[in-house]
Amino acid sequence: MSGGWLRDTAVAMVVLALFLAFELAGFRSSSLLDFAIRFATFGLLALSLNLLIGTTGLVSFGHAAYFGMGAYSFGLLMQTGAWSIPAAILAALACTALLALVVGALCVRLSEIYFAFLTLAFQMLLHSVISSWISLTGGDQGLMGGIPKPAFLGIDLAQPSHLAGFGVFCLLLSTVALRQVVRSPFGAALRMIRDNPDRAAFVGLSVFRYRLAAFVIAGTFAGLGGVLMSLYVSGAFPSFAFWTTSGEAIFMIMLGGVSVFLGPLVGTAIFLLLNDWITALTEHHGLFMGTILLILVLGLRKGLLDFIMEHWRARKGARS
Amino acid sequence: MDLTELGGCLSSLSCMVTQTAAGLTIGMLLFLVASGLTLIFGVLGIVNFAHGSLYMMGAYFALAAYGVSGSFVLAVVAGTLGAALLGLFMERFLLSRIYGQDVLMQLLVCYAVILILDDVVKIVWGGDFRSMGVPDELRLPPFIIGGGIVPYFYAILFAVTAVIAAALAWGMGRTRFGRIVRAAAINPGMVGALGINTTVIYAAVFAIGAGLAGAAGALSAPIRSVVPGAGVSILIESFIVTVIGGMGSIGGALAASLILGFTRSFGSIGFPLFVEGAMFAIMALVLILRPSGLGGKRGS
Amino acid sequence: MSLGKKGAMGRRVLLGGTGAAAITGFPNIAFTQPRQPIKVGMPTILSGRVAQLGISSRNAIQIEVDRFNAEGGLDGRPIELIVRDSRGTPAEAARLAREMISSDGCEFLIDGEPSSGGFAVHEVVRETGTVTLHINSETSSLTADPRQRFWNAFRVARQGIHDSIAGGAYAANIAKTRNLRRWMTVSPDYAYGRDTTAEFVEYLKHFYPEVQVTGETWPRLFQPDYTENITRLSQGRPQAIYSCLWAGDLVTFTEQASIFGLFAQSSVFAVNMADYTTLQQIRNLPRGVHSGNRYLKNFPNTPENLAFATEYNRRFNTFPTNWSWQAATGAKLLMTALRQVGGTDPRQVAAKLKGMVMDSPFGADGKVTMRAEDQTLVGYAIGWGVTLSQEPYIEGMAPIEWSTIFQHEAEWKRSKGWS
Repeated sequence: MSGGWLRDTAVAMVVLALFLAFELAGFRSSSLLDFAIRFATFGLLALSLNLLIGTTGLVSFGHAAYFGMGAYSFGLLMQTGAWSIPAAILAALACTALLALVVGALCVRLSEIYFAFLTLAFQMLLHSVISSWISLTGGDQGLMGGIPKPAFLGIDLAQPSHLAGFGVFCLLLSTVALRQVVRSPFGAALRMIRDNPDRAAFVGLSVFRYRLAAFVIAGTFAGLGGVLMSLYVSGAFPSFAFWTTSGEAIFMIMLGGVSVFLGPLVGTAIFLLLNDWITALTEHHGLFMGTILLILVLGLRKGLLDFIMEHWRARKGARS
Repeated sequence: MDLTELGGCLSSLSCMVTQTAAGLTIGMLLFLVASGLTLIFGVLGIVNFAHGSLYMMGAYFALAAYGVSGSFVLAVVAGTLGAALLGLFMERFLLSRIYGQDVLMQLLVCYAVILILDDVVKIVWGGDFRSMGVPDELRLPPFIIGGGIVPYFYAILFAVTAVIAAALAWGMGRTRFGRIVRAAAINPGMVGALGINTTVIYAAVFAIGAGLAGAAGALSAPIRSVVPGAGVSILIESFIVTVIGGMGSIGGALAASLILGFTRSFGSIGFPLFVEGAMFAIMALVLILRPSGLGGKRGS
Repeated sequence: MSLGKKGAMGRRVLLGGTGAAAITGFPNIAFTQPRQPIKVGMPTILSGRVAQLGISSRNAIQIEVDRFNAEGGLDGRPIELIVRDSRGTPAEAARLAREMISSDGCEFLIDGEPSSGGFAVHEVVRETGTVTLHINSETSSLTADPRQRFWNAFRVARQGIHDSIAGGAYAANIAKTRNLRRWMTVSPDYAYGRDTTAEFVEYLKHFYPEVQVTGETWPRLFQPDYTENITRLSQGRPQAIYSCLWAGDLVTFTEQASIFGLFAQSSVFAVNMADYTTLQQIRNLPRGVHSGNRYLKNFPNTPENLAFATEYNRRFNTFPTNWSWQAATGAKLLMTALRQVGGTDPRQVAAKLKGMVMDSPFGADGKVTMRAEDQTLVGYAIGWGVTLSQEPYIEGMAPIEWSTIFQHEAEWKRSKGWS
């Protein structure tokens, strides 16, 4: 296990170094930087959601609540002017974890469909609290006036290149951490609960506690995604916590695949490129995205990477 | 909070009449949407996240039929049948392919349908909002009962929705079809073994559920604006109703719809700033005290 | 943009080099031809419940752009308008704005987003220094708050505080003559609804201190049904009701309120009623509702304004909206500045825009001004009138004097600590 950890970290460091070298070598363009920031943001959202969907078997339709919570709590803390960025990030993650703990405690006992419903309902509740608590959140206009970004440790997030590097760093850090979670005995227990909750309970696992822990971990990482998003747009908006954001995250997971750990990240990249391409071509975004999604779901019945991996395994199996 | 106002209203006949009538009408329209949702879930085990879109399509079909014929009756029939046909299509060509797979698949198919339908209505009917307006023949002076106002059109809406609800109860409780449907909800394998084609039952139930949503859309088209994306807010409320009422329970959905209707009508007087919050609070309360909902029997 | 044109553009984007850039997210190689078009980007909403906002803004700008190009553009350089749909998500609006600037090479932005997306775009162009005209954000603080202000962003739209002062003055006048003292409000529960209502009430009381607000009800934005809000109003028996509901929500409210007889019971002041999409969609428009002008083809009652409405109607088979006149004015201001500068240098164009006075069909006295001090549009026609049940829908339009507005706006800014 420690070997895996070391290898993951090494891979992550190499990726980060490559990204930074690429930037420093002058290959950077503002659209590439934008893409890197958005990829890190939505990648975190999708990857953390897959801890629930893929690993634990909990289909949450309310994951954007934590994304929004991270963004708002971070933005509000920064606007007080009294917090440094790292401190505010940690505090925002703590707030998000607390919200996930409360919602999770109410939801994880429920069966599949009730769970999807209720997570959706709590997300809508948060959304309506954000839109109507105008004195705190600015309502639908979002947190206005920009989010101050004081430099720390020589990193100035007001510069897009620094922000992109920071975003990629956060994503890699979280990827390594989440991979550790999935590989640990804790992750194995989650998979057992997913496949057979009764058996898991029978061997003495507290299904409730394990599910709740997974829910809180997933929510916290989604909150980090929200923090990056608020840094990117220099504000926070109620749509961060709207159901469409959750829908998009599920879409990304579906594009990539649930069974491969990095599937959601592949899905995020495909989704973002597809989204940018479609909005550039047509105003009938929903029609195109919806049709592509239907073809994927009904045609492949699984994510792209799932599909490829299965084929690959089947071929390997046939050969040996 | 304005509880003295609420007290004043409860002790005034005119206020009671108006608010009760308003609550009943809001509740019954909500019931039409939610009963379809809960029926489909009870029998097919599918959460139709695209149910709000069927409501929206019902309203658009009604608008189109009204534009051609000028008859409100035809408009409602067109809205109901149009949504039912669309539901049939959706069940046969999309959802039936993913029966037995996990919720994620259902969620994604429905999400795709929402995206596509919102764009389709925009292409066909344009992106701006439309309104049918209350037809002239129904634009009659309101009933005044004990000093309270009950608009004529609301009385009609209540009557029609009550008839539909009664027909649904009779159909599910007293007919052979209803008995088969209830049996299929409990044990589809057994129903299939008895030589009954469950595929047909599933398709019919989905079409009926979609038709109920379409009917609600069509009936409310005269008093609500018809616009792309209109389905979402309805969907959330219907979800709350199905959760409070118990998923799969039509009686529970009726009770929950009326509770929400009265929460809205009396809440707007007693606690105008907390009406939305109150609906969620009721839902949370039900889930904590009775997780399977008011009408639910099976544990969740 | 006609359907045919869009198709053609789609193909070119797919096949051309710029298309590849848009797809992969890499920058395009800059053209060096002398007659390249001036690209103007427009992030806006073209789908969902407020699609009308983007569609009617785009239509109006297209009219102006076509005219500009037919007149030879800027020394032969035509304007190419790039419109994209943010679907109402501010983050997407920010991304589109960035992409238009960095990948598509847009030199100017006409920001067609409403307030929420508008603020997101505002933050982007604060960073990039792209000259930007916000055409649909009415929130006062966007330009009134000095912290929000920077050299390259302008607002070409009505401003909430102007509307509130005008509405308060008009309503107080009516209220005084008819002795309307007990008021209630019904407005959408979000920032615009809250702010606009509070400001209206403030000025109503300022001009007529005897007014009392005895109750308020706040439907949420896009609420499908207003029955409970209407019964609340009818229980309160106010003499007058104020509402800043708009578009589809106002249509629903009016249809439902009229069958409850609310319009017979109380005088209603609905600031956003007088916009054609709203007026035409209400099947049974009640008489005697007081409304501010959003857009009316006969206010100001000039041949130029009527010509704009006729041209718009001929091309798009519908009437302009409030968003249309704002969009047309924004495009016209930008084009005038471009011609005056004779180039596209952003600093020079911004300097020309600042303080520009321009002939306009939508001006209170035939002219509008881009006020230099806070870079927002003033001098546009603003007035209140009363609804009729059919065309021309509104009668007795009473213009509000800009001197009154300026005086109270200055006091308001002082009270906020913004001047």
